[in-house]
Amino acid sequence: MSKREDDIVAAFVSMSGSLARGLDVNELLTQLAADCARLIDVSAVGLLLADPRGALHVVAASSERVADLEAFQAQRAQGPCHTCYLDGQPVNVPDLAAAAARWPDFAAVAAKAGVVSVHAVPMRLRDATIGALNLFGATTGPLNEADLRLAQALADVATVALIQDRAASDTHIVNEQLQKALDSRVVLEQAKGVLAFSGDLDMPDAFAALRYYARDHNIKLTELASALVQRAVPAAVVLGHARTRGA
Amino acid sequence: MDNQELREALGDAITGAPTPLDAADRLCTACVQLLDVDGASISYMGDGTMQGTFGSSGHLSRTLDELQFTYGQGPCMDAVTQRRPVLAPHLDGHVEDRWPALTEALLGRGIHAIFALPVAVASTPIGALDLYRRSSGPLDDSAMTGGVYAARLAALPLLDLMNADTDWQSASEGRGSWEQLESLERVEVYQATGMIIAALDVSPADALIRLRAHAITRGFSASDVAYQILNRRLVLDRDDWHEVGDDDGRGT
Repeated sequence: MSKREDDIVAAFVSMSGSLARGLDVNELLTQLAADCARLIDVSAVGLLLADPRGALHVVAASSERVADLEAFQAQRAQGPCHTCYLDGQPVNVPDLAAAAARWPDFAAVAAKAGVVSVHAVPMRLRDATIGALNLFGATTGPLNEADLRLAQALADVATVALIQDRAASDTHIVNEQLQKALDSRVVLEQAKGVLAFSGDLDMPDAFAALRYYARDHNIKLTELASALVQRAVPAAVVLGHARTRGA
Repeated sequence: MDNQELREALGDAITGAPTPLDAADRLCTACVQLLDVDGASISYMGDGTMQGTFGSSGHLSRTLDELQFTYGQGPCMDAVTQRRPVLAPHLDGHVEDRWPALTEALLGRGIHAIFALPVAVASTPIGALDLYRRSSGPLDDSAMTGGVYAARLAALPLLDLMNADTDWQSASEGRGSWEQLESLERVEVYQATGMIIAALDVSPADALIRLRAHAITRGFSASDVAYQILNRRLVLDRDDWHEVGDDDGRGT
């Protein structure tokens, strides 16, 4: 096996292990986005889920850069990712500048983030589309067939991770689980803000501090984030721990 | 009426209302007109206890909402604590045993179905929208979708009520309710909310109110203010937020 195949297998093995251990869904999706960005060699990967109104929200991303997040969420109601979600089909934009007329608002925000090519694959649950996996490239050009298949496989795993609790035969339950995932993203962003202010950190460092503490204390990321924003765990405790880790 | 029309009709109902309480009443009345229910009310919950009825489609709905407060039980409390819709389509059925005292009181007033949808701000549940119907049976898909829309919109007047300083007139002028709501659902707003939580030691819902109030009074969008906070251009003092470089600004 090539190095890349090894990496792909390792990513899936680690993911199925996490699923079996019942790891926090947000942590798992963030890991998945990071794996995807590394394996496919794109600059950023985001997972976007639709709320009951059909608006897309970022639920996990490989990058904590505000510019990237802004570009992901600019597709709430318009953009390649939104088109992918609506049609339930992959959307490939090898050169965003050439396609700017189709999604002018998104193209402007994406250009600011340094994004020049965009690809999106749907997250499908039986006959419904619940969101999309969105890849941002810093270079123009199409994704090759193998990369597209890999992206779709990762999107399918993300879907399973989101709907793992039950055999989700009921749209009501599916909606609840998606809402839960979206809510936990909100709390995660708030917790980053708490740490960023208290420790005078930028957002990527704040997120790193959050993850260190959660991992080293075996707490789910969402639970820790929630405790921080409810002020049940002082920010100083989490920041102090990150400092001992040399972060 | 398709979903888009439903959504617009609900948004129109609260746009231009003179006060938050009027906006809540109008939203409830719109629910009755659009969603095939006989009554609607919005209750406000603080710290897990019901604080009171905040809007209603009429006298009966207000009474029904207050009944839940009187009995200290009901779908509205459950919707907030469980953070999900709580549906009771058959109050008269024998499988319905969740709120015995309330159920009897509702049936006594001719109500056979009740549906409670949580109203959340920055993922913190702060209240619920209750829909009442005289006939039993589930809500149809269109009514359920409309109810979910309405419960999201209900967050706007609730936010304003919680923050009495907000100028409701300027808050509702110019921009549609959905736009206002969507501007609060952005990554930078959540991150900035977290910074306010840490700076002022307040709850997430309160932090969002502060951010929104600052935006409204200065004529900025919520997103503008969020970026000012994230870039440390706005100093978050307890009583006075000022830009770095203001006369009294000492910077961070």
